[in-house]
Amino acid sequence: MKKTFALSMSAVLLAGAALTGCGGSGSGNQAANSGQTAAANTSAAGTSAAGQESKAASSDEKVTLTILAGQSTTDAGIEDMIDEALAGKYPNITLEWECVDWGNDFQPKMQQYLQSGLPDIMIGKAQDVATYAPLGVLAPIDDIYLDRGLDAARENVTVDGEAYGLVYNALYQGVYYNKTLFAENGWEIPKTLEDLQTIIDDCNTKGITPFASHMVDTWSIGNVTMQFAMNDVFNKDPEWGDKFRAGTVAFSDSEEFQAAYQYNKLIYDNTYANTFSMEQTDCDAKMVMGEAAMKVSGSWSIQNFLDIDENFDFGIFPFPNQTGDAKLIFEPNITIMTSAATKYPEAVANVLEVLTSDLELAVEIYDYTKTASMLKDVTPTFTNPSQDDIDRYAAAGQIVDVTLGNNQLVWGGFQEENAKDIAAWLQGDGSFEDALKASDGRVKASSATK
Amino acid sequence: MTRMMKKNKEKEETVRQPYTKTTAVVQVVMTLVALLFLAPLVIIINYSFKTRQELYLSSPLALPQSFRLDNYIQAIKKLDMGTTYVNTFIYTAISVVILAMLCGVTAWAIARCRHKFFKFCYIYFIVGILIPYQALFLPIYTIGYKMHLTNTRYGIIFMYVATGLSFGVFLMNSFMATVPIELEEAARIDGCSIIKTYFTIVLPLLKPALATLIIMQSFQIWNDYLLASLYVSKKQLKTLTVAIQSLFSAQTSDYTTAMAAIVLSVLPIAVLFICLQKYFIKGMTVGAVKG
Amino acid sequence: MFKNKNDRQYLFLVLPGFIIFTIGLILPLLLSFRYSVTDWDGIAAEKVFVGLKNYIDLFHDENFLNAWWFTIKFTLGNTIIQNVAALLFAVALDSGIRCQKIYRTALFVPCLISAVIVGFIWLRMFSNVLPAVNDWLGTNFNFMLFGSGKTVLWGLLIANNWQWIGYWMLIYLAGLQSVPSELYEAAKVDGANAIRRFFNVTIPMLAPSITICVVGITTGSLKVYDLLVTSTRGGPGRASTSVIYQTYTTAINGRQYGYGSAMTVTLVMALLLVALIQVKGLKSKEVQA
Repeated sequence: MKKTFALSMSAVLLAGAALTGCGGSGSGNQAANSGQTAAANTSAAGTSAAGQESKAASSDEKVTLTILAGQSTTDAGIEDMIDEALAGKYPNITLEWECVDWGNDFQPKMQQYLQSGLPDIMIGKAQDVATYAPLGVLAPIDDIYLDRGLDAARENVTVDGEAYGLVYNALYQGVYYNKTLFAENGWEIPKTLEDLQTIIDDCNTKGITPFASHMVDTWSIGNVTMQFAMNDVFNKDPEWGDKFRAGTVAFSDSEEFQAAYQYNKLIYDNTYANTFSMEQTDCDAKMVMGEAAMKVSGSWSIQNFLDIDENFDFGIFPFPNQTGDAKLIFEPNITIMTSAATKYPEAVANVLEVLTSDLELAVEIYDYTKTASMLKDVTPTFTNPSQDDIDRYAAAGQIVDVTLGNNQLVWGGFQEENAKDIAAWLQGDGSFEDALKASDGRVKASSATK
Repeated sequence: MTRMMKKNKEKEETVRQPYTKTTAVVQVVMTLVALLFLAPLVIIINYSFKTRQELYLSSPLALPQSFRLDNYIQAIKKLDMGTTYVNTFIYTAISVVILAMLCGVTAWAIARCRHKFFKFCYIYFIVGILIPYQALFLPIYTIGYKMHLTNTRYGIIFMYVATGLSFGVFLMNSFMATVPIELEEAARIDGCSIIKTYFTIVLPLLKPALATLIIMQSFQIWNDYLLASLYVSKKQLKTLTVAIQSLFSAQTSDYTTAMAAIVLSVLPIAVLFICLQKYFIKGMTVGAVKG
Repeated sequence: MFKNKNDRQYLFLVLPGFIIFTIGLILPLLLSFRYSVTDWDGIAAEKVFVGLKNYIDLFHDENFLNAWWFTIKFTLGNTIIQNVAALLFAVALDSGIRCQKIYRTALFVPCLISAVIVGFIWLRMFSNVLPAVNDWLGTNFNFMLFGSGKTVLWGLLIANNWQWIGYWMLIYLAGLQSVPSELYEAAKVDGANAIRRFFNVTIPMLAPSITICVVGITTGSLKVYDLLVTSTRGGPGRASTSVIYQTYTTAINGRQYGYGSAMTVTLVMALLLVALIQVKGLKSKEVQA
């Protein structure tokens, strides 16, 4: 009897010990990811916090901030740069990074953390501000930091008069074109659809594919459709989304939106025959090698183009619209948000300070991600053959922030789904009217706030 | 019954089947099939040595210009392999050991006790096999968070055990018939308690079954993505599959690093399987026959 | 209830597993039930009760029904192809060829790879590698199976079968090796040729293996998700969206968590039903060895 008892007790203890993961570094690091109970006590004799921090000579309190980064394009790796810069100025602050893919995982992660407590800092896209600020979970960003950024960055991250996001860099979206091909064939940058059609026709007679595209990636369809919508719908009616939800306009009777959808067909009819199987690498390779003349895309393509051929000469222009006055589109990319419930507002402010004032860090990040700066007086130094085109449009005030459109009609659940219907229509699995009706049917999902 | 079948197998093995013309044809066909099956893996390994330029511009079937380890080094760096490998290994090893203990015990109790509750238990556990936990991700996270299981080593191990119990109990249960009840009864007559009987008599006999269970659960947990991404997001606690996902993102065209990462992550499991093949096959045999 | 001292000991053995399983899997399922009768969006603090509205809406939801249709097609395809192929390969391996172990390993290794990686591998195969084979051989097959809604199912079937055939083959192999040779002898004496022997002796004796394989393949196929995430993402368009994929997209990206939970509950019910029917149906055909 005694033996059994002893045996069973030891079994339970064994199981218990195993379940607690052998104590040690596991539970030492445990913080029920609200991040707020992070190892901040230096008096804990340095045993916890996985020994990342060296014993600081200063009496500054050691702080660990949690940071969730929704990354896209080629962002992966900037966290090391930021860590280095931060360590230089504020060695007592450590960032605990969680990096996820923005497209697929940022929203689910935010949903998770809304249950348990947001990380101290979140890096997403500008459109996330419109989703999460109204819930009251974000803290407004201090003007000191906002003033170091371009004014153009503020408008679309402002909710009820307060800015809740700090925009760090931007992508440009438009039609990338092969400068050499254009020069050889005497093509001018098209300002109207007729101009564009001339180039398309010329391409077809010469055996050049007018457009490079990889429609197998449905997101690419969604992205270009919003580009079209910016210059045909939202330029005239910046509140089209609100009206849509109010019931006064609809896809089925909006000529402008239908035009935007129809441009997809224009591209589909003038691109690779197997665009629905062609993946991005091939698509870009063909473009660089001169088989295609243009590609409707964004700055993420720059990295690919230059990888294939560092001497590829390309430029960018906005896809022409019905009225011939299309503007070049920029998309605020890395947007820094802070939690309203953070326990370390001072440390968070320090991080913001480093990010907005460390110009070397900024250039390093811009060069690495091949993006445009949204901080004042900072210019990246990487070769961007399309830079003079961008500068021209910017100087003439012919640029527009796509966040407007993304706030009016959200990406997840709406734009993304519409893109699938457009894909089905282009492939002949549904009619154009079906695609429009499906978009209308989704009206409830078109906004992040109910 | 089992003894008789064993004898038959031995008889078959000593009597070699004649190598007829049909057999030769089958041999050729199966060789082709095996080559076709291995082809994608060979291609991945091939890719893992290529540079980005070769990726874009040369044929996928071409051999790399040189067998450089650049991609592997990149993969190791990007995936923080030191940490993720160790983490994945720890989670897998500990979860599997716990599962082996729990499933054996649970399945045995269910098989031996006549009480109604245990029949209910059997069905209760089996239902778990049908539950698609991908769709339950938010409740799983909510419960995990409320119980302070998230971002801890024991939290993720807990979840792996919870999701692995169903299949484990099912598997072990089908092995119970191979444990002769006479031995247990003899031990009981000698005065052993139920619990002691299990640990001293039954457990040793379950070795092949446990081996099968361990192998099957090992590679399921090693390859798990969803639970790991839900429960352990801190850099120090990350697992391999979550780290690899970041290389597959939609807008990245550079997948040479991803290829090297794939090879690095599949290798240990493949090696484990090849070494433990014997036990695995043995275990599956009994399971398949009993049904 | 547990009067017997022995019963109590058995209970002690079962309890830890029971508790862990309940907390980890059953509780979330119950929570999901609860969410499914609300119109929660996954973000807001309040959850508004809406009764069975979500379930009723499900039956009118074209995308959901299409997802089911795709998943059913995928499951049927898998069940037939994997079972037949696994059985054939097992028979081939058991027919006295040399180096059986090597073939076994070669066919089995794919199932050790995680589904997300398998999806990625086959995306590359179809988009890059196989078209290169065209160049090499000078042929012009269409290998871009993920590019059209009409062929995407076949592409996914190929990928999935590549991964799993080896696994089920091992089960059939084990089953085959346990068929007593006396039965074959007896059949030969009766004048049955190889094919008759196969259908009249082998198949009935394999009944338990067939049960395991069919149930396993079916439930696994109905739950397909990981494979799609890295290969087709449910596309092109919605052509390869499975039930779980649709659930995930609706619940998370579409911010309709309550509605998505109703989808989950429906799926669990369906899985239960399918498993029940199959096990009952197949068990009755098993011959007691």
